[in-house]
Amino acid sequence: MLTRRQFSATALAAGLAVALAGPALAFPDKPVDYIIPFGPGGESDISARLQQPFFKEKFGQDLVISYKEGGGGAVGWSQLNGLSGDGHTIMGINLPHVVVQPATKDVGYTTDELVPVYWFHYTPDAIVVRADSQFQSLQDLIDYAKENPGRLTMSGSGKGTANHLAQVQFDGMADIKTTYVAFKGTGAAVTALLGGQVMAEWGYTTVGAAQGDKVRLLAVAMEERHPLFPDVPTFAELGYDMVGGAWRGIAVPSSVPEEQRQAWSDMIAEINADPDFVKKMQDGGFALSDVPYGEMDAFMAEREAQYTERAREAGIIN
Amino acid sequence: MTGFDSFLQALTPLNVLFALFGVVAGTVIGSIPGLTATMAVAVLVPLTFTLDPASALILMGAIYTGAIYGGAYAAILLNTPGTPSAIATTFDGYPMARRGDGDLAVTLACLASVCGGLVGAFFLLTLAPPLSQVALAFGPVEYFWLAIFGLSLIAALSEGNLFKGLAGGAFGLLLSTVGVAEVSADVRLTFGSTVLLGGIQVVAALIGLYCIPVLIDLVATPDRHLRVESEPRGFRLPEAAAIVLRNKLNLVRSSVVGTLVGILPGAGGSVAGLVAYSEARRTARRGEDYGKGAPGGVLATEAANNATVGGGFIPTLVLGIPGTPPDAVILGALLVQGVRTGPQLFTSQGAIVYTFIWGLFLATILMLPTGLLIGRYAYRSIVGVPKALLVAGVAFMTVIGTFAIRNNTADVVIMILLGVVGWLVSRVGFAVSPIVLGLILGPIAEQGFVQAWTIGSAMQDLPGMFFGRSLSLGIIGFTLLSLLWPLGKAWLARRAEGPALTRLTRSASVRGATDWPTVVVALGMIGFGLLALYDAAGYRDADSAVFPVTVAGALIVFALVVLLRAALGFRNRETPQPGSTVRRVVLVLAMLAGAVLLPLIGFLASALLVFAVLTVTAMHDRWTARRAVVFALSGLFVVIGFTWLFRSVLLVPLPTPGLF
Repeated sequence: MLTRRQFSATALAAGLAVALAGPALAFPDKPVDYIIPFGPGGESDISARLQQPFFKEKFGQDLVISYKEGGGGAVGWSQLNGLSGDGHTIMGINLPHVVVQPATKDVGYTTDELVPVYWFHYTPDAIVVRADSQFQSLQDLIDYAKENPGRLTMSGSGKGTANHLAQVQFDGMADIKTTYVAFKGTGAAVTALLGGQVMAEWGYTTVGAAQGDKVRLLAVAMEERHPLFPDVPTFAELGYDMVGGAWRGIAVPSSVPEEQRQAWSDMIAEINADPDFVKKMQDGGFALSDVPYGEMDAFMAEREAQYTERAREAGIIN
Repeated sequence: MTGFDSFLQALTPLNVLFALFGVVAGTVIGSIPGLTATMAVAVLVPLTFTLDPASALILMGAIYTGAIYGGAYAAILLNTPGTPSAIATTFDGYPMARRGDGDLAVTLACLASVCGGLVGAFFLLTLAPPLSQVALAFGPVEYFWLAIFGLSLIAALSEGNLFKGLAGGAFGLLLSTVGVAEVSADVRLTFGSTVLLGGIQVVAALIGLYCIPVLIDLVATPDRHLRVESEPRGFRLPEAAAIVLRNKLNLVRSSVVGTLVGILPGAGGSVAGLVAYSEARRTARRGEDYGKGAPGGVLATEAANNATVGGGFIPTLVLGIPGTPPDAVILGALLVQGVRTGPQLFTSQGAIVYTFIWGLFLATILMLPTGLLIGRYAYRSIVGVPKALLVAGVAFMTVIGTFAIRNNTADVVIMILLGVVGWLVSRVGFAVSPIVLGLILGPIAEQGFVQAWTIGSAMQDLPGMFFGRSLSLGIIGFTLLSLLWPLGKAWLARRAEGPALTRLTRSASVRGATDWPTVVVALGMIGFGLLALYDAAGYRDADSAVFPVTVAGALIVFALVVLLRAALGFRNRETPQPGSTVRRVVLVLAMLAGAVLLPLIGFLASALLVFAVLTVTAMHDRWTARRAVVFALSGLFVVIGFTWLFRSVLLVPLPTPGLF
């Protein structure tokens, strides 16, 4: 159902093709501005920083990262199409943000106006509890929630976000009622979990990677188990058809011509296929995804339908 | 165990050089309003890919330390907090500078910063794992009460008119809700404009509210910016040392407060400085006139904000939770390098950690000589530069600095407009600081309140949530103490000494005819409150409405009281504001025009144009050929030099289209 795949021969082939064709095209021919529409230090920044050295090594130009923070990314995305279309300005782009934000209110852009060229990774949703929590398994948590409707507090980052939509979706699937407590960013949501302010957290696999044995993941929303957590079951294994999280990708201004959009898609694919890059991303708890420019429309249509439906269930949009 | 060998490791010539370079660069960056420690550290991240992790950490830690200290210069000499951490430094630092003690204040700031930095680093070295629990013990409700504690400072900062202070505070709290809400999906108070989506950036607001009024008054008269003694007095170290000795308790307390607040991931340097300042003010001895240039105020804030550096690293390294925004960047850089923070870090990678902590000590100690030297240079340049160049130069810095915060032209326009608002309201007796307090503490109060309310409701124990936790009760107690203490002290003094002191503690207002300007400002605030209520009616999520509705209600009530008092003729003692209105207006219009032109004709062209206009506007002496040439060359040098620095070294994407 989902387009997220392991590294396939296609991606490798595409990478190879670019590697061969690249020098002839001489693109990019100067440093690239890579704008992160968030502040430094978050997942978007970290994954961009991980790409930085690989880009330089493969394509010979610097990726210069800058930040245009504000409005949960909306400030950056609303200005994206006004930026230079020479192909040397790119911006980080995030799901479900770019679907939910414009559906909620006028934020200066619409989902269809943006031009994502590649979704290169996602942080899979996961339920996280403290290591000393009474919940040993997902079933423990569901049992508690069934006995005490509304009493199970779960922290997460913001509202209308991947965490929030996951909570809404899972509550519906397991037929339970939990209380979602929105915090400013994943860091604050984790702090609340560790400090015992809430009983569980809707987080990502990255939380498990960062916090080690102080936390326990009850389930992850992936198709297969994450290599870093071989003992943590997927939601699907436990009978809940739930795969998803927060996607991160690259977008270009709409004035960038087709060939260059494709060229960017190929370049990001090539970085994504590098085993060293894969290793670094997985160690950080990220999960790679490969949605190239060619498959963009189908992927976005499917995501949009799903997020819109859940945001409606959550009461965020009409 | 705390690794003396790590100390020797930290002492390699390369690391010492990094620490020295970091402190110097950080101090300079921090002294420019708008350039924050976060940004300084972020610029360095790519450099660290090729460095050894310990050296990279030392470099970033040193820059961070220096930047927090550097923020004091602009706070003291220009009434502009270079970083949010230095807000409370302006309260006494700027009055000191005005009366001619700017050099002393800068030296005191350096001594206090070194002291605070060492205390913070000491706790990081010795007690990091247990102290990291402080970060976890602080829940939403504690953050809420901490914000209320900070807001209680408004009572002290209202400069003789409590209701104007309260109305200003509520105005600031309401301003803090503009934009996409942090913990809900609603967009608030933007009135459909995408420019306001990102909200009012705090540093931009600080620059606007504090610095623009200074510029507006500076341009109007030929008077000197700061009073100066005829002969230079060097560092005034003996004098400063005597003050430090007299304030040793204040210094230690502020450093500890700074470390503890630094550990709290949701608070940071600005809150640390405010809490330490509040405590120093509460426990002040008689004769120390806080708010009017008491050295203790500068010492308290600067010690506290530098202590947050060490304090902030405690949760960053032990829990993997960044204590402050620069820590988040450093954590990210470590992650990219493959260093895993968290509980295992101290054991698995102890060598790196201890080398880093000792490096932080080293950097802090190096800050003593470098800080004193750079401080004296900063003081001399502010005092010595001709007024025309000072006005144009500072205006240029506010624009480039504000732009750099998040690479947004809209922030520059908001900064200038807020500055005009700040100048107008302060002319009718509203102090600017309560507005700033509201702006900074608003998000902390709102998020804490909404989260505590949600959790308390789920637990079906709201009273227990808000009033049943011992840590909360402690903070509430301190809040009451600092609110009631001055009243009690005044009452005791009145009883002991009779009416002489009553005159001093009485409100600074006099009775006269209706105070129309205040009436107009109060009406404006009531209008803003009503607008916010109207806006809140359209929010989808009840969580996003509760705070703005409460605050708007408070704003309307306070503004009504202000309105009534003004209508009845109570007014603040007038402080005459002589000078040329034309020059004031030209300054504001020129800056606004420059901001609008930025994206059209490019940064450099716009900056040069505005610089020239402002130099002419601020010129009160006669133009001579020599002056014209010197001023033009200095202007070119400053504008081109800084544009290059921002564009090429700090990688700020300044607008380029159009001319150049």
